[in-house]
Formats: sequence, C-alpha cells, structure tokens
Amino acid sequence: MILANNLTKTYGNQIAVDQLNLDIPQGQFFGLIGPNGSGKTTSIHMLSTLLQATSGSITINGLDVTAHPQQVRRDIGLVFQESALDRMLSIEENLYFCAGLHGINKSAIKTRINSLLDLFELQSKKRASVGSLSGGMRRAVDIIRGVLHSPKVLFLDEPTVGLDLPSRRRIWRFIRNLIDDHKLTVVLTTHYLEEAAPCDNVAFIKLGKLVSEGSPEELIEQLGKTIVEVSGSNAEDYIKTLKLSAEDYMLDGRTLLIRVHKPQPNQVEQIQATLRDSADIISVRKSNLNDVFIWLSSKGQGTS
Amino acid sequence: MLIALKSVLDRELKKTFRQKSRLLSAMVRPLIWLFVIGGGVGSIMPDGNSQDYQDAIIPGILGMTLLFGSMMSALTTVYDRESGVMRMFIISPMPSYAIILSKLASSTLAGLVQIIMLCILLFALQQINVSQLNWPLFIFSITLTAVACSALGLITAVVSKSLDNFAAIMNFVIFPVFFLSGALYPVKNLPIVLHWVAVANPFTYGVDLIKHSIDINNVSADFPLLVDTLMLGTFSVLAIAFASWKFSQEATLSTLINKLTGGKR
Repeated sequence: MILANNLTKTYGNQIAVDQLNLDIPQGQFFGLIGPNGSGKTTSIHMLSTLLQATSGSITINGLDVTAHPQQVRRDIGLVFQESALDRMLSIEENLYFCAGLHGINKSAIKTRINSLLDLFELQSKKRASVGSLSGGMRRAVDIIRGVLHSPKVLFLDEPTVGLDLPSRRRIWRFIRNLIDDHKLTVVLTTHYLEEAAPCDNVAFIKLGKLVSEGSPEELIEQLGKTIVEVSGSNAEDYIKTLKLSAEDYMLDGRTLLIRVHKPQPNQVEQIQATLRDSADIISVRKSNLNDVFIWLSSKGQGTS
Repeated sequence: MLIALKSVLDRELKKTFRQKSRLLSAMVRPLIWLFVIGGGVGSIMPDGNSQDYQDAIIPGILGMTLLFGSMMSALTTVYDRESGVMRMFIISPMPSYAIILSKLASSTLAGLVQIIMLCILLFALQQINVSQLNWPLFIFSITLTAVACSALGLITAVVSKSLDNFAAIMNFVIFPVFFLSGALYPVKNLPIVLHWVAVANPFTYGVDLIKHSIDINNVSADFPLLVDTLMLGTFSVLAIAFASWKFSQEATLSTLINKLTGGKR
C-alpha cells in the first residue's frame, strides 16, 4: 500500500529525513515515533504529497506520489495536529465544503456525514459554528473531515494533542473500527506512546534516520522485558558497582533505570542483592513502549 | 472540478453575508466618498455645482466597490493560510492552478455581490438611473474589472507573509491603485508623471471601462473600449499565471508547509 524507498529531505545542509525506507501493507496501523525534530512530520508531509522529497521515491496504492499527486490525494486523508476547519462555518458546512473540494456533491455525501456525526454524537451540534466548539469536538470534526471521502490511507499527525481522555478514547475507538471494518491503512505520529501501543508496526526515527522498526512487542522484547529502577543519592556509583555498559542503563536524576535483556539468570536478584544496603528504593517492572522511546532517543548516552 | 468550484463559491457567499460589518462598510464607504468627498470637492469647482462632480465620480465609486470587495476577498487567502483552512485546499485533489482559479472566482463573486447591492442603493437614492446604463456593457465591465481586482488581490495574497502587514497592503497597494486610476479625476488631466503611473495601473482601465457603460453628462472615457478590455484581460491572465506559479511553488516546496505547521519537523 505505502512504499518509501530511500526517502530523503534536506533543507540546505540540514538533513531532515535521511534515506527512510518504509513498507506499510494495506490495513496496517503504523506508528511513526521519535523525539521532537526527528523528521516525523516531514516524513508524513512527503508521504501525503504535501512536500517534495529531495531524493527517493514513494508509491501509494501503486501510484507514484511525485508524478500523480492529485490522484494520490483522492486515496488519502490527512489530519493535522492543528485544526484545518473554517471557524466561521458550521460543522455541517465545513464538511460539505470539504466534500466539495474532493468533488463529492451534497446529495451523495449527506448520509455519510450524518452517520459520522452520529458516531461522534455531534448530530445535535451540526449547525453550530466550529468556533464555538470545544477542542475535543473540533478534533472529532477534523477526524470526520479526514475520512469523509472514504480514503484508503489516513495520516494522523499527533491527532489527540490537548484532548481529554474520553475524547481520545472515542477517537481511537473510531479509528480502530475503520481499520478493522474497512481495511483502512493508518499512519500515526504521536507523543502519547500508549496510543502507539495498539499499532501493528512501529518505526522509530531519530535525526531523520530509521533507528528501529517492528511490532511494539518486538521492540519491547529487543529492549528487554524488565526494567529495574534504583533510586538513591549515589545513583552514579551504582553504575560502577554493577559494571553496567552504557547501553544498558539510563540515569534520570537520582533514579537509575536498568534494562534486563541478556539471557542471564537471576540478574534482577543480583542487582537487588548488590544494592540492597545503599539504594533507597529498588523496584522491578515490565518495560513498555515509553522505555523503548527513551532508550532509543538517547541511545549510547547513558542519560535521559 | 465544477463541484469544487461550487463549494468554494458557496463558502464565499456564506462568509460575505455573515460578515455584516464588512458588508455594511462595503456600502457605507462608497456613499461617504460620493456624498462627502464628492460634495466637498464639488463645492470648490469653478462653477460650484457639486452634483456634476458627484456624477463624474460615480464610475470611480463603482470601481472602488469592486476594488475593495474583490481585493479584500482575495486577501482572505492570507487568512485561510494563517487559520489553517488552506490545508483543506492543499490536501484536496485540486491542482494548484484550480485552487487559485476558485479563489479568483469567489473573490469576483464577492465583488459583484457588493456592486449589485450598491447599484440598488444608488438607484434608490436616484444618483443614477436604470436607463443610463448600457446593461450588457455594464455587466461585462464590472465582471472584467472584478476579475482584475481579484487577480491583483491574489498576487498580493501569495506574496504576503501574514495579515500583520495588512495596513501596509492598504497603504501601498489599495489606496495608490485607487487614487492613481482616474476614479476621482480624468487621467488625461493628470501631471505627466502621475499620468504615466495611471496608465500603468490596471485598475485605471477598469474604471474607464465602467465609464464606457454609463451615460453621464460630462463624463468621457480616457481610452478606447478595446484598449480597456485588452489591458484588463492581459493583466488578469498574467496575474493569475503568476499567482498560480507562486502558489504551486509554495505548495510543493517547504514554505507553505512550514507556515502551516509552524516549522515542525
């Protein structure tokens, strides 16, 4: 469905995206994660025809994005972090306007708009101006706008920033249904890593380069399934005591995080026994995508 | 393409009629010029008959309504870019030139709606008479002038970075274009430098074309009808081509995207 080969974007001497390769099949929920300035948004803009790549190629549904941007845009939807709605128009008017830009007339889209408004419980508000809506409602309308023309691919660029939990859950439930029922391919960038956890595949990019890719479970497995957190006043001394290599620990203030990933029996027990007298707190927990993010973001630095 | 165009026009009409203050000022502004400036300047004319001067500036006042109406509407492209609405355009299957043409059409429509409303007011106030208009030529002249004003607005919009320099646009584009057009005085009587500036001003030919279509005593056009038509037509085509090119550069290069996303990577 989406193929990116050696995708590169430079601004002068600065490399924003560096030879990115992606292969996203139809119906996949794909997460593009990475720290600020890593090139996520640039990548999404290149994938969605809005930005020309300096080099490399992209095809979506078999169509070359550079050669056929208009045709590609018929097949894709894009939800930006900031709203793209006209605040002076009502919800309904915005949606009809957007449908019109995609060449769909009012009578053909009326039923779809009503059913989408029902799903987000916005039917009673459809004549309210977008400027009078809450942030959650406005974002819901943005999502509806993104899927109104029944795209095959939906790009979501940090779609739930600033939303409360119920609004976020409602949006994710809707997206999940689209993936399951309509085989929609979704490409997501987010800062809420728990939202990337349901992704089928996640690519982690840093400084424009693909650092790691796999299912969230695979990435967690690669990191190590267990994290030991040691808090105390001599956290830096614990590193020497345990003879940790730089890639196995993170120092977060007075807390030392140690990943347990080697096939070494009783490693957790050994850490606990060694630091029992000097550490204030030693806790053991399962690792998650946040740990993967933190580790990959500061790989080789030993600090967060 | 037609459905997209209809949607853009529909949006423009809704916004035009919803912005009551904008619509009111579009009616009040020309009336102030007609009665206050027209009356005042007319009173210092050698024969002291202000009505003659008021009659003489009616084509200019109609042109002014088109200039402000269409140009202001075209300038909302800058607002669309700043508020994020332009994203809806650029992620649609419309090519860049179609986006520019749809904005041109909607701005032209906004100008025409305003001039129709003003004409009704002027008929009611008996400033002009229905029989004074050569209707086919009048409709042609206001439409072509509205297109040219919209095209001028689009050029200004695609080169403007933000609405912050709106005052600069008023002072350095709209007012000079209006004052140096023959809207308030015949171009042929202007001092030589101003005369040539007026000749280079496309709006001059719009006002002149309107003069051709209204039969008012002591008001004669400065240029032949064909010259007015060719100048306005040529300017419009060149301006639309430039605006489309500039917009496509922005849409495919990073400038517009950076504006829309606040420079996020």
